[in-house]
Amino acid sequence: MNSLPVIQKMLVEEFGLTEDQVKPESQLDELGVDSLATVEFMFMLEDRFKLKMSGEPVPIKTVGDIAREVDAAMEKQGITLTDK
Amino acid sequence: MNKVVVTGIGAITPLGPDFSSLMTAVFNAHSGVRALDTSWIHQLHSPLAAPILFPVEDHFTKLRRLMLDRVAQLGLIAVKEAIQQSGLNTLADEGLHGGVFWGTGMGGAHTLEQAYMDSFSHPESRPRPTTIVMFMTNSTTGQIGIEHKIKGPSTTYSSACSSSAVAIGEAFEAIRSGKINYAIAGGSEALLTLGVMKAWESLQTLARPDATRPETSCRPFAKDRSGFILGEGAASLILESEEHAKQRGATILCEIVGYGNTTDASHITQPDAGGQARAMRLALEQAQMTYQDVDYINAHGTGTQVGDLSETRAIHEVFNDYAKQVPVSATKALHGHLMGATGAVEMAIAIGSLMNKTIPGTAHLFNPDPECDLDYVSEGARTLAKLDVVMSNSFGFGGNNAVLVAKRYSK
Repeated sequence: MNSLPVIQKMLVEEFGLTEDQVKPESQLDELGVDSLATVEFMFMLEDRFKLKMSGEPVPIKTVGDIAREVDAAMEKQGITLTDK
Repeated sequence: MNKVVVTGIGAITPLGPDFSSLMTAVFNAHSGVRALDTSWIHQLHSPLAAPILFPVEDHFTKLRRLMLDRVAQLGLIAVKEAIQQSGLNTLADEGLHGGVFWGTGMGGAHTLEQAYMDSFSHPESRPRPTTIVMFMTNSTTGQIGIEHKIKGPSTTYSSACSSSAVAIGEAFEAIRSGKINYAIAGGSEALLTLGVMKAWESLQTLARPDATRPETSCRPFAKDRSGFILGEGAASLILESEEHAKQRGATILCEIVGYGNTTDASHITQPDAGGQARAMRLALEQAQMTYQDVDYINAHGTGTQVGDLSETRAIHEVFNDYAKQVPVSATKALHGHLMGATGAVEMAIAIGSLMNKTIPGTAHLFNPDPECDLDYVSEGARTLAKLDVVMSNSFGFGGNNAVLVAKRYSK
């Protein structure tokens, strides 16, 4: 999960969560991040990593799920973290 | 029919972050009108507005703010204060017998304007996924229901300047008829954006800035009145059936006894004294009162040439020989015109006057207009020996007129 540290940092900065809250196994709904907030966050990630998420409905329930989804999209589109 | 009482009041306005600061300011004639400090203000003919300059966003977490336009933030702040004062616990009945009745003219104007600006200036950009839920007119209503877990009816009223007076009136009717036991009622508005302000400017209803005393530019009922000043804010009342309030030992602030709602059906912006008079009469009729019973009128009093004259004529029509004896004041001179929120703010001021046995004056009435010949309390706040019944007038574009009457509570 290469993108995990950046995602954790963004969750803290954008949503005001604490570092302790954004562990890979943390459930998003328990953090108050509902489906709308998750979509909002995915838009932020697309802007941050200059990538395009699939747009297909994907079951994202945890912080780790987000990182896995971003990693997969980055690999598919040939984007690496060092590009940014 | 149930008696309907008020047990909580909250307000966030250009005059202060809460209800008590609002009352202090209107009693002392402090104006919230000033030049707006934004990068685009030079695009307007007048920089004047009545903004809220104390922290609003700080009341909410970053995550919560994702879904809240400024209009919802203001509404939630006012409601929180009203709920705290009333001590109402909506969880006691799981929110099943409560309702939310909220007024707004434009809903999330800031969010909508930002989405338009982004879309037109950067065609490749996309609006935030939360854009719709932030700008839809019922956004604040829904957010209040979520925050306070109210599961009865929730309705949003949008009738321009009378929106939140209508919301209070309809909440009153719902409790009076026994449909619900309690309600959060009121309204919020946050429309100090470039596009909205320019549109109002084009309509030529905004006050001409006074060069030396800009804070006095809005002058209701004065000969040199030239329009209103746009403002932002929110106010909320907690309404309950008398029985519900008594059962839980709440402090009762006043009783709402009358609500009149009429439509001019004549012109989209021109007011009609006949329609306004009918609304006042209906409110008095429902209250089972005569015009002599009214001790104070908080006028709609926007400060436009046409509007103030029409309201003066309507008061003459209803109050007959008593018209020149009943004190009338227009507080928009100080807090600005809060559009969809203004009816609730002014009803809160009317109730605050009842509670304090003192009424605010009409500020900036330096040059009386012979055609506006009522007692506008131009000298400033006045303490009355008898102040038991108050009336609040709200008249909106579209021709809607809403009038509320409240009286001192007695068991």
